[in-house]
This record gives sequence, C-alpha cells and structure tokens, in this order.
Amino acid sequence: MSATALRIERLVKRYGEFTAVDGISFEVPEGEFFGLLGPNGAGKTTTINAIVGLANITSGSISLFGHDVVRDWRTARRQVGLAPQEYNFDRYLNIRDVLIYQAGYYGICGQAVARRADMLLERFDLASKAKQPYIKLSGGMKRRLTLARALIHEPRLVILDEPTAGVDVELRLELWSLLRELNTNGTTIILTTHYLEEAEELCDRIGIIQAGKLVALERTQQLVGDGSLQDVFLELTRR
Amino acid sequence: MIANAVGFQTLVKREMVRTFSIINQVIWPPVIQTLLYVFVFGLALGSRIKDVQGVPYAQFLIPGLIMLQVIDQTYSESSSSVFQGRFMNSIQELLIAPLSAIEITLGYVVSGAVRAIFIALLITVLGMVFVHTTPTIWWLYLLTIVLVAVLFSSLGIIFGLLAEKFDHIAVLTTFFITPLVFVGGVFTPAQLVPPVVQHVLYGNPMFYMIDAFRYSYIGRGDLPLAVSLAVVAVLAVAAFGVALRMTAVGYKLRT
Repeated sequence: MSATALRIERLVKRYGEFTAVDGISFEVPEGEFFGLLGPNGAGKTTTINAIVGLANITSGSISLFGHDVVRDWRTARRQVGLAPQEYNFDRYLNIRDVLIYQAGYYGICGQAVARRADMLLERFDLASKAKQPYIKLSGGMKRRLTLARALIHEPRLVILDEPTAGVDVELRLELWSLLRELNTNGTTIILTTHYLEEAEELCDRIGIIQAGKLVALERTQQLVGDGSLQDVFLELTRR
Repeated sequence: MIANAVGFQTLVKREMVRTFSIINQVIWPPVIQTLLYVFVFGLALGSRIKDVQGVPYAQFLIPGLIMLQVIDQTYSESSSSVFQGRFMNSIQELLIAPLSAIEITLGYVVSGAVRAIFIALLITVLGMVFVHTTPTIWWLYLLTIVLVAVLFSSLGIIFGLLAEKFDHIAVLTTFFITPLVFVGGVFTPAQLVPPVVQHVLYGNPMFYMIDAFRYSYIGRGDLPLAVSLAVVAVLAVAAFGVALRMTAVGYKLRT
C-alpha cells in the first residue's frame, strides 16, 4: 500500500466574511497524478497556497508525507515543489542561477546542485539559455523553467498550477510528455487546469471544487463514464 | 536560531548579486555625492571655518557624510528589495522554502549591513585620500555602522511590507530620514547651534548615530558615548523586532 503524499482534513480558509475554502478533505496517495479542477474563484489556488505555505489556514489541517504543514513546516516544505501559474522568477539572476539559488533556499548547495541544475536545463531544453535572465526567454521556455525550478530540490510532490496556460499545442503536448515521465519516475503530481482534456488525459483521479467545497472526487474514468469530463464538470459546477 | 544556514546564506548572496547588478544606482551615487559634499562644503567653504571639535571642518564632516549614506543605503536596500519581491511575487521563492521568519529577516538585515560597510569603507578611503582623516577606534566604527544598518534595514523591511506602491517607500526618506539626518549633526556640532535648538537636536535619533560614529574618528562627541550607543541599540532592537514580527505573521506576504 502506498504512503499518503497529501492529506487535507476539513480545510477552511476565510478572508474576512468570505469563505474561500469551506471544509474540504481529501487524500492523494504517493505516486498519483491528481487533478484539482474548478471554475475561477472556486478555491483551487487558495487550497494550493495553503498546502505550500502562502496562505494561513483558518482551520483544519494539511500534511505532506505525514508532516503537518504548520507544526512541522520545515520538513513538510522540503517535500513539495510548486510551479505557479505566474512567472515569478528572480529578475537579477540568470536562469541557471534561478535554479541554484532556489535549491539554496531549500538548504542544498554544492557541486551536486550545479550538476542537477545543468541536467534540468538540458532536460527542459534550456541549456543554451543558461546564462540569460528569464525575461529573455520565450513564453514556452518560461513555462519549462517554472517546472525545472519546482524540481530542483527533488521534491516528492509537485504542484502545477495551470502549467499549460497560454502555451501552444505543440508545447502543451511536450509538457504532457514531461509530466508523464516525471510521474512514471515516482513523483506525485497535483495539477490544476482549465483544460479539461488535459486533466482527462493525464490524471489518475480528479477532484472538483465549487464555491470552496469539494463536489466530486473520483477516478477519472469513473467520473467521466460514457460522457465527457466537460459535461460532468459543467453539471457539477453549474451555479 | 538559524536552522537553514545554507538558505540564509543564499538569501544574503542573492541580495549582494542584486546590489552589484545595479551598482550605478546603489554604490557610485553615494560615493560621488559624498565627494561633492567634501569638495563643496568641506574643502571650499570649510577652509573659511575654524576647527570644529578640535579638527578641520572637512575632517569633522566625513563621519557625518558616511552615516548619511549608510542610513540612506541600508533603508533603500531592504525596502526596495522587499517591495520589489512582493510586487513581482518573486518573494514567494522564499516563502515556500523551508526558511523561517528570522532567517528571512536576518538575511535582508545582514545584506543591508554588508552593503553599508562596503559603502562606508569606500567613503572612508576617500576621506583618507582627500581629507587625511582615518577612524581611530575601529571597533566603534564597525559597531555603529552595524547598529545603524540593523535599524534602517529593519525599517526598510517594515516599509517594504507596508507600501502599496513604490512611492510609499519614499515617504520615510523624503519626510523623515533626509531632514532628520541633515539637522542631526552632519554639518554642525551641537555647540554651534542655539541652546533652544540643542534640545530639539537631542530628540533627533540621527544625532545619536552621527555622534557615536564621529567618536570613532575624533575620539570625542557631544554626548557620552554610552548614551549614544544605547539609544541606537534600543532603536535597532525595536525596529528589528517589529520587522521580524511582521515577517512571522506574513503581513502582506501570506494571505
């Protein structure tokens, strides 16, 4: 039986009177490719932010590989890598250093990190741009760099917040291939996306959030049944 | 206190990279500005002024000018770095990493102190070359710079977090720091101002910083050294405490 990568129990996040996440609970086993879907403002990003420490939890708990993200935050954070939707790279560093410095923040340094950075740049076809700042990269390259940065400290769980937003079909297929390979190699992946075919193609299981509540949590095939994920999604998230 | 030493060092190194990548904004301007002050006020006008506190006016001027730049540069360093990190969201790289509030706060403060010492040393060399003045009490020279750097780096973090736009960061510099430094004894000793103004001077925190630092050059000050150092130390600890608390609760950092 595989270990639990992520456990969320009765998570609540409020902003004043507004409840962004309203008591959701779910688990993601190690090695799974999990899709977290929902319309804009449903609470996906807030949930992700709570997992990685960018949002303070109002109530409930989150643990990563058994480590509570509040009580045991240092160990918990080492387990997870985040590829955010927005490009938030350090503009003063070249892209190789973006990876090396990110590893440094995780307490990792030395030749091994430099080698891993070079390997990731090679793997994500960014090696020729290693000495460039990120602003010189194309949109597709920035997307790949986001993923490489999330992987630099070898996390067991990677969270991808709309990793293919705004990229062309060719790059999307390339990213799918990279993500599949990553998952096959044992990394647990949580994906949020507005491209339902992407979730259907990649995810073992899907959770759908609507107005801060989890309204579906099933294996992708069971959720879709004989119809399409789009029909199910619209049915569950119709206001 | 620092469990993630590599993470802390990485942040300090990153801030140094930032400083030296904008060297024309942050290193040369204070040096050139100081040179101009020295030539115009110190050597040109100062030659018509008799000795001040037992030294030529240009030599009296140098410690105050160093303090002026240390204060300005440490505040600018941390306030702009924190605000820019918030604005560009790049500060999230630190927030999701296993770095504690004290590691992050100290990272900014230490980088501010390193930048301050670097600029101070450059200006000190200028003072040696053009005005023939050198610090005589080096431990006091370094201690005062470090305390002042802690104070203004911490204030920089606080205002970098409070600010909603870049313009807000300038509020402290324009309306408080620059006026207080200029009337805080950079250009004149307390004995030369009217008695009523002296009382106002003693309410100005910059006066204590400049007085303590000038002591490291000429071996005397307007106030007892222990008083000046104590005032600066208390302010530094208080500001650091506030900056640390704001970082720990994630003020405008975590939602």
